[in-house]
Amino acid sequence: MKLPTDLHTSVLKQRTRRQLFQDCGIGVGKLGLTSLFVGNSLYSKPAEKERGMHHSPRAKSIIYLFMAGAPSQFELFQPKPELQKLSGQPLPPSLLDGKRFAFMESFAKNPPKLLGTRRKFAQYGESGQWVSECLPHTAQIVDDVTFVRTVHTENFNHAPAKIFMNTGTPFFGRPSMGSWVSYGIGSEANDLPSFVVLQSGPRGPRGGAMNWTSGFLPTAHQGVPFLGGGAPILNMTSPAGFEAGRQAATVDAILDLNRLNMKSAGDPEIETRISAYEMAHRMQTSGPELIDFSTESQATLDLYGAKPGEKSFANNCLLARRLVERGVRFVQLYHSSWDHHGGPGESLDKDLDDVCLSADQACKALIMDLKQRGMLEDTLVVWGGEFGRTPMGEVRDTVGRNHHIDAFTMWFAGGGTKPGQNIGETDEIGFAAVKDPIHVRDVHATILHLLGIDHEKLTFRFRGRDFRLTDIGGNVIQPLLA
Amino acid sequence: MMAAMIRALTCWSVLCIVPGLCAQDDGSHFFEEEIRPLLLAKCQSCHNDTVASGGLAMTSREAMLRGGGRGPSVVPGSPSDSVLVAAVEQSGALKMPPTGPLPASEVEALRTWVRSGAAWGQPAGDPQAAEALWSFKPVIRREPPPVRDSDWVRNPIDAFILQRLEAESLAPSPEADRRTLIRRASLDLTGLLPTPEEVRVFVEDTDPGAYARLVERLLESPHYGERWGRHWLDIARYADTNGYSIDGPRSIWPYRDWVIDAFNDNLPFDQFVIEQVAGDLLPDPTQDQLIATGFHRNTMINQEGGTDFEQYRVEAVVDRVRTTGAAFLGLTLGCARCHDHKFDPISQREFYKFFAFFNNIDEIGGNLEEREGRSRMMHPILELAEPAALAERDSVRAELDRLEAELKALSASLEATWDERFPPGEIEDIERARDIIAVNAKDRTSVQDGVLDRSFNKNVPEFKAKKKEIGELSQKLPKIPWTMVMRDLPEPRGAYIHVQGDFTRRGEPVEPGTLRVLPAMRSDLPRNRLGLARWLVADDNPLTPRVTMNRLWQRYFGLGIVETENDFGTQGNPPSHPELLDWLASEFVRSGWDLKDMHRLILHSATYRQASTYRADAAGVDPSNRLLARQNRLRLEAEIIRDAALSASGLLAPAVGGPSVYPPQPEGAGQFTQVDRNWKADEGQDRFRRGMYTYFIRSAAHPGLVLFDAPIAQESVTRRNRSNTPLQALTLLNDESQTEFASALANRIRKHSSDREERIRRAFEICLARPPRQPEAERFAGFLSQMTDAFATDAEALSKTGADTARAAAWTAAARVMLNLDEFVTRQ
Repeated sequence: MKLPTDLHTSVLKQRTRRQLFQDCGIGVGKLGLTSLFVGNSLYSKPAEKERGMHHSPRAKSIIYLFMAGAPSQFELFQPKPELQKLSGQPLPPSLLDGKRFAFMESFAKNPPKLLGTRRKFAQYGESGQWVSECLPHTAQIVDDVTFVRTVHTENFNHAPAKIFMNTGTPFFGRPSMGSWVSYGIGSEANDLPSFVVLQSGPRGPRGGAMNWTSGFLPTAHQGVPFLGGGAPILNMTSPAGFEAGRQAATVDAILDLNRLNMKSAGDPEIETRISAYEMAHRMQTSGPELIDFSTESQATLDLYGAKPGEKSFANNCLLARRLVERGVRFVQLYHSSWDHHGGPGESLDKDLDDVCLSADQACKALIMDLKQRGMLEDTLVVWGGEFGRTPMGEVRDTVGRNHHIDAFTMWFAGGGTKPGQNIGETDEIGFAAVKDPIHVRDVHATILHLLGIDHEKLTFRFRGRDFRLTDIGGNVIQPLLA
Repeated sequence: MMAAMIRALTCWSVLCIVPGLCAQDDGSHFFEEEIRPLLLAKCQSCHNDTVASGGLAMTSREAMLRGGGRGPSVVPGSPSDSVLVAAVEQSGALKMPPTGPLPASEVEALRTWVRSGAAWGQPAGDPQAAEALWSFKPVIRREPPPVRDSDWVRNPIDAFILQRLEAESLAPSPEADRRTLIRRASLDLTGLLPTPEEVRVFVEDTDPGAYARLVERLLESPHYGERWGRHWLDIARYADTNGYSIDGPRSIWPYRDWVIDAFNDNLPFDQFVIEQVAGDLLPDPTQDQLIATGFHRNTMINQEGGTDFEQYRVEAVVDRVRTTGAAFLGLTLGCARCHDHKFDPISQREFYKFFAFFNNIDEIGGNLEEREGRSRMMHPILELAEPAALAERDSVRAELDRLEAELKALSASLEATWDERFPPGEIEDIERARDIIAVNAKDRTSVQDGVLDRSFNKNVPEFKAKKKEIGELSQKLPKIPWTMVMRDLPEPRGAYIHVQGDFTRRGEPVEPGTLRVLPAMRSDLPRNRLGLARWLVADDNPLTPRVTMNRLWQRYFGLGIVETENDFGTQGNPPSHPELLDWLASEFVRSGWDLKDMHRLILHSATYRQASTYRADAAGVDPSNRLLARQNRLRLEAEIIRDAALSASGLLAPAVGGPSVYPPQPEGAGQFTQVDRNWKADEGQDRFRRGMYTYFIRSAAHPGLVLFDAPIAQESVTRRNRSNTPLQALTLLNDESQTEFASALANRIRKHSSDREERIRRAFEICLARPPRQPEAERFAGFLSQMTDAFATDAEALSKTGADTARAAAWTAAARVMLNLDEFVTRQ
């Protein structure tokens, strides 16, 4: 080998990437991933060597319940007696110093006033967690979850904040956390993508594909949106008349002709395409079984409130469990809309009731179902929005709440987390953290940690530098770990 | 102390653009986070370059080391000797700042900063080494080197390539056969398959000029502009929607068409750059030159409610800087947004000097919908219509103005008489309206205006009728095509350094200017975008021609001579053939920036014309074929996979340009974004347009494009992935369009001949430009029989295919096989 080193390293980078992952972007089967990626002297690039797990994982999979639009922590999880007392008082101007808010231009005309909640709270479970009347089902699982009260983020508009929550930066072109996980540790699923996105509610997530993009990582790691209804994967159904045996024969013919051409062209890329067609065909065959809820007991369907064929959060939660059972690494469910400003369709009364009703029972069901199947231990469930809502009211058609980024609530369950806790404390009106502020990147570091990944080691070299999900921040939320 | 440092680093991460790097702290982050803002807020209003109170400027490290009347302000490493520290400690006669003592934490921060050496955010890398980098040096044209096998050399490119191969004792590959050559050149230059007739003519033409004639024919094809224009559109981050959350439609397809035309007309590349960056600033710009400035209007616009217009305007300006760096210079300018570039000699100040060029666009906030359904946020725009059409539109607008004035008068009278019409009661919206009417109109928020409007509309039939009339007349407004363009404000906005990249924290003011490490801008050039554009293509700029030629090379061989085509800085890879790159760059400039000439050079080289067949002997030495002992096999790009299938099927609608179109897409594909973007597929010709004309929604792009690695136009992309995945297989197997193409291809084959063997031959010739090899023909024939039997015995399946006979359905099945072959989606 006489080439200068620079050529060699680029060669190796290309080979590892192409042959191991770009090739079979969907999972790498139940191979020992660690042995594939770590300790193999061939892969000398640090970024490549650091793929795979860095320590033994606590969670195998993650189900991320993304409550799109930003739920109000004050109506759901955070009773604040002082806020109730001060309701109607103007917010102390010192709290607004140097802060920027959405719709801030209205502050001059309508100075923001504190707003107590109209919701009733009670304590539940052995852990005595506070939950409001909006979420009677969630109230029943509080001993299995831990609330983090002090998550903060950096952008107060929906689409940029969603991108921040998913990629750890407000900048475009960065990979989402699901893509990082897929890139880092692959998947155990044989015939399903490693990163699946589901959606329910009146509208899709703002920013769309930017939320599950693979950015500069190989495209094979982008999130794959699954549809509601009969065929979850786009183009999963054979063309009319070409189903079943005819499709199988077609794929066989394609594979054979590709093999014949392999003999003359010799390009290993052809082998990869052959594997891709084999896997595609397996996906087609197993897809209908995946979404066939008839194998679920009536009790399970009732637990979730799932109705086969319906496009609902309940169905998506059940589907998420089935995906995780089949080895999918990262399932992200978007459920809209929690954007309760007070305008039409966004009241903190009826409209909040509606979205709670559509989500609450299935959240409980997911936790209970995973638990009774022994899957909660190694499935991490995350619940949260892109930011929270202000302790101040926002006057529109009704009084709602504005976007607030300084302290909002997320909950975590299973997957090696310690349940029944409260992490972080906010001030008396819930404006900001007074103890244990948790940055979005801390959430990312923790998710990766539970999956066996050191967030500082999972990097990818692009444009001359090593990038990572947590940028230069991120601390694992230690009290959250079991 | 440590806590302050840690806090500084944590906060720093908030805006750091370069993850993973900032952790290597050299003190500059502490400076950026804690010290620079402090100096700015508390010191520099009196101690700056203009007003240096007490003779002291506090605007640079040098100035502070020099100090003022009392001697050096700062002695690095020694707080006790530093006047600055004594002044803020207020321990002596000098007490600063004059407004009162600083908080203890800030005093401590200054002490720490001085003790640790008073770093001023210098680049971490060795600036001298960076400036010595090959890419910043002038292009040097060397004569092609001597080689042993000089017969192989067709033009200078080959000498440079062969010299490296010979050094490795590798022989180049033989020339590809003529069928492969014509398919390769057709796909590379037009993105369409050659017809079997074109293949036959070329194969039979043994004249030595045959290949040259082929190349000329392809370069003259209008589809050349589409093929190479699409490459440019990746860099230009072109899309048909605004991005972010609402991601509403915009109109900028005329820019896309301008790009296609520019390639077809072989607009010299320097002019191509000038018109896109600053066409509006040229003397008496033509309409085309204005349209060209759409290049930098392909930035995203955030239409979400509650956004700060200035924040996203700044994001767009930053994107223009980054894109300019990527598109022409191959530099990662964006890294210097928050701090000096860590590796390349680009300071934060220089970033904002570049920023200043693009900061004066006449963009306006307010996401108001105008009559023609466009938002004010898309301004400035250019309307593309004859004066008569504009006059007609203006007359409808005048009528609308009249009606709206009436509506306004009606609103005023409703407000005045609200209590009479609706005595106080229990109906919520009427009462809310009453409350709002009580507020002085100019003090109402837009939300209140909305509530009032809805209440009028609901409760006053007359108001509703007037609204309806306005709505109906609006529908009659003639639709004038328009496109987004650049236009400068009469007075520049003025640019500042953004402290840590945060636009709310204004640092020192900056004037437009270029990069210190590159040759200076000629003094006679204006300090505006036009000057910048001319600087980008100045004869002595070493980067633009190198970057452009590298990218041209990359399109033909898969990888550039510099593999990191997006980074010609210190972190990029050095070129595999530096002398070849410089030779091409110098030739490019010498030709008058003539792209077609450069295409000819590459296409005529023996290097390009080699077979792509895998070579085990070469792979041992050069596994990724950087030395080009053979051509590379390249999977076709997303759009070209569609185009190849369209041309194979005979369905291709060859029209060039026009508004984007809506081919079929899988049901439900548009639902994964805020506003449902599912669409009704076009019928007729628009259903069969080339892939590049598919309406491109940033947040929900057509899955057939994205799955095959088309970028989603969030930022400038200079190289696409070439992934190979099962989801691609599902698309090619099952997508509705694919089935339509297969069925048309089957008809085309069956019409050609009634002989089965001849039909099989034709299928291969159409799709692969070659006849089948014997085992292929046998396998294919076996499949046809199998399918014919299958459909003959299953009437239900047959009827579902829409084919008349089992044989016809079997041919559709066979055509599907052809369109799915690896070789079909590959340029060999």
